[in-house]
Amino acid sequence: MLASVKGLFLTLRTTFRRPVTAQYPKEHLPLQPRYMGFPALTWDYTVGEPYCTGCMVCVRYCPTQCMSATMKDNPLFKEGKSPRRKIVESFEINLNRCIVCGICVEVCNFDAIVMSHEHELSTFRRDGRRVRLEQLLEMGKRYQALTGWRPEAERKAEQEKGRLAAAATPSTSSQTGTS
Amino acid sequence: MAEARPLEVREILVNMGPQHPSTHGVFRMVLWVDGERIVRVEPHIGYLHRGSEKLCEGETYLQIPTLFDRLDYLSNFNNELAFCLAVEKLMGLEVPERAAYVRVILCELNRIASHLMFYAAFGLDVGAMTPSMYAFRERERIQQVFEAVSGARMMHDYFRVGGLRQPPPDDFKERVQRLLPLLEKGINECDTLLTHNEVFLARTRGIGKISPQEAIAWGMTGPCLRACGVPYDIRAVEPYSLYDRFDFAIPVGAQGDCWDRYMVRVEEMRQSIHIIRQALQQMPEEGPVLTPGARRLPRPPKGEVYVRTENPRGELGVYLVSDGSERPYRVKIRAPSFANLQALPVLMRDCYVADAVVILGSLDIVLGDVDR
Amino acid sequence: MPEIAVLAFVAGVVLAFGLFSTLAIALVPVLGSGWGWGIGMGTAAVAGTVVVLLLTVAGLGLQALAYIGGLFALVTFLSLVTFALVWLERKYLGRLQQRLGPTRVGPFGLLQPVADAVKLLLKEDIVPAWADRVVFWVAPLIAFVPAFMVWVTVPFSRDLVLRNLDLGLLYVVAFSVVGITGLLVAGWGSANKYGVLGSLRSAAQLISYEIPLIVVALTIAMLAGTLNLVEIVERQRPIYALVQPLGLFLFLLAGLAEVGRTPFDIYHAESEIVGGPFVEYSGAHWAAFYLAEYVNTFLVAALTTLLFLGGWKGPLLPPVVWFLLKTFGVVVVMFWFRGTFPRLRIDQLMALGWQMLVPLSFLTLLLTGVALYYRWPWWGLSLASTAVLVGVGWLVHQQASRQRPVLRLIPAREVRSAG
Repeated sequence: MLASVKGLFLTLRTTFRRPVTAQYPKEHLPLQPRYMGFPALTWDYTVGEPYCTGCMVCVRYCPTQCMSATMKDNPLFKEGKSPRRKIVESFEINLNRCIVCGICVEVCNFDAIVMSHEHELSTFRRDGRRVRLEQLLEMGKRYQALTGWRPEAERKAEQEKGRLAAAATPSTSSQTGTS
Repeated sequence: MAEARPLEVREILVNMGPQHPSTHGVFRMVLWVDGERIVRVEPHIGYLHRGSEKLCEGETYLQIPTLFDRLDYLSNFNNELAFCLAVEKLMGLEVPERAAYVRVILCELNRIASHLMFYAAFGLDVGAMTPSMYAFRERERIQQVFEAVSGARMMHDYFRVGGLRQPPPDDFKERVQRLLPLLEKGINECDTLLTHNEVFLARTRGIGKISPQEAIAWGMTGPCLRACGVPYDIRAVEPYSLYDRFDFAIPVGAQGDCWDRYMVRVEEMRQSIHIIRQALQQMPEEGPVLTPGARRLPRPPKGEVYVRTENPRGELGVYLVSDGSERPYRVKIRAPSFANLQALPVLMRDCYVADAVVILGSLDIVLGDVDR
Repeated sequence: MPEIAVLAFVAGVVLAFGLFSTLAIALVPVLGSGWGWGIGMGTAAVAGTVVVLLLTVAGLGLQALAYIGGLFALVTFLSLVTFALVWLERKYLGRLQQRLGPTRVGPFGLLQPVADAVKLLLKEDIVPAWADRVVFWVAPLIAFVPAFMVWVTVPFSRDLVLRNLDLGLLYVVAFSVVGITGLLVAGWGSANKYGVLGSLRSAAQLISYEIPLIVVALTIAMLAGTLNLVEIVERQRPIYALVQPLGLFLFLLAGLAEVGRTPFDIYHAESEIVGGPFVEYSGAHWAAFYLAEYVNTFLVAALTTLLFLGGWKGPLLPPVVWFLLKTFGVVVVMFWFRGTFPRLRIDQLMALGWQMLVPLSFLTLLLTGVALYYRWPWWGLSLASTAVLVGVGWLVHQQASRQRPVLRLIPAREVRSAG
């Protein structure tokens, strides 16, 4: 008897709590920084071309074989404006097949592909979920703007600089402390 | 005058088909029913068979954790752990301490999430809809932490052979520490709502009993076995990963009925919180998360290995045969739900139709595990 | 004289539904669900109204129009109450589960029941091939019409009652039993194993729980000395909930079982025998059952208020408001039970009914009889009733704690060292 009454009082107490519902689509729950949405290709603003060279490592390692790509000789390399000999010519991802595992990002040697935060890409067509290079680059640019993404080498260099700077400054703070 | 024929009494065949609100996935149960009593039950499985073991033969060791995530889709980290331990054992790799602790913490959080899902489904099976809402409220908290760590709420693909894919975020320890008291409170609420409720006791006490000898004979493991009184928990008997460093208790039931199976899981949630607390304390603050000997694409030497882990559902075993290349020669998965489900006719002896749903719910099967 | 008005109303309703059913059976397959039901209802409403008006005016003269107005007002009010109950249940259960409930359709989701009703009416009308068509169509009506007809004699305040019969309580109890036939007929007419199983279960359950319900109502009638519902409320000094708490407890449980609410909703439990007697009913047919269920819920709550909680008595606010407040309060308690408890199995339900509620209700009857014969003061009966209630609760608790299930916690290191 007592347990049932305790249960009743519990539900009564919960009635007066704030509901935990988030009213989608007006309210979106915040996404964590590492959230894995669909893959997107990044854009190198310093040179003005994608980071992707079309090497197809990601295509080979994709567990569901949802991507396909081709590469071409990079015209900007011949002009001396870009360090990349080859550049991606076409790239297609079948989002229906992508299992959002992130292996493509892990194996990429060029920081060319990232897991964007886009996940609301439903369409009304059965085959409407194939994305091509332009759309992938757009998604990538949005992601870069949203998160301030930098390629790994740059990020590591900045971290090193920060560490060195922190190691160099404690003398000033101790001086101010003692004087 | 024609002579009177004796009254012919036949059993009704009731098909709880693959689509049914209470069969926990695509599972078909054919029941022969005499009035309200079940005379015979015939389970049909295979509706979710995806050929995981065969697919493993064609995928590299880097890609296989994605398959293992989707086996028992409620305890993803535990599945990934089993596979990674198998390959690491074969290759003789030693996982760095920090990675091992993070793995244990995530696996235990996943155990809590999985048992919360069981609680929700079991509440619905006995007809109470509020427990499911409360359980999912708690589960949501855990999944937010998972999203912060691996990027995905469910199919993480986070464990790698030799450690983790990337270090956990900087606030990992604080987040989990903040989470634990909230989880405890939530579990206590779930307990208050259902455990000693008279109606719930009437629905689950004495239903679906199985003796320990029968359970062992049928190969049942996990909470279903512990509910019969057998204190067999692989984390204690054959500790893998870092489980020999933690002090925890194994809940053991008395009768092997539905209530015991339910209660063992609720207690296990509390024990998992205890383990996580100890792991957070013992975890080193810094350190690598990937062993130096690990390569992006592991190539284990020729050989075979069998590793067993304690999945929330029971003993998950991975038998791996390697031929020295980057793809395994054979992966055999010993699925806990498959073995537990085999005992269904034994459990459903002389029970009512309404009990069939409760018994099936108490086994806590996941069809991804049963069918692979 | 006003009885003629009621008779005319009944005749008109029966004619209207007969006409409506015939038209709908004929038109829905031809014109589709929306048009078929619409034309059927429209014609029936017009015809029924005309007949009723003619009969009553012929019998009574123009003053009868007042009675007819009251009857239609009642039907409208009950429909609005049903809408309110549907909304309240979903909102309240939502809050109980720490979520929002309907919010999109209308402000605060107030138009949700309207949306549900429109959706149900526009749904495709599926009649199973083997079903007995006439039986299939008539079943919802047999469940639905008595639910409305009971309300003719239920008072909302001392003067707000359509026809206060001296045999009011008997009329209410008698008519609420008629609806059970509708459920039986529904399951049979569906030609579906699940339906037949469900309707048999429901019949067994409802008939069993009528007994404690009626016996407890009888004890109230004994206490008040009349079956007249208005008089019962007037003579409640103090309210009978205080005089007979055991009676209130039994009436509430029996009432929950009568309406088919958790923990007694096994016969239409979705997770098992997917819908019970209603499994083959779609769209508007099912809406009739659904409507009947909510009107019955409101009826049980109203009866509890009238018989136990002092009806419309209370300070400051107008009596009707008190009546509605108390009734909705009882309804909220019923929803609260639904949100908290799992459901009982059919045999456990029957055991509870026959082994606990029936003997206790007869005990209540005995106690009341003794109290009245020996002219006990009201608090004497109250004490006895409370004592029995507490005693029963204590016995149940003893039983439960003796079999209290126990879980052992074995430390892992013991298992490790054992090997």
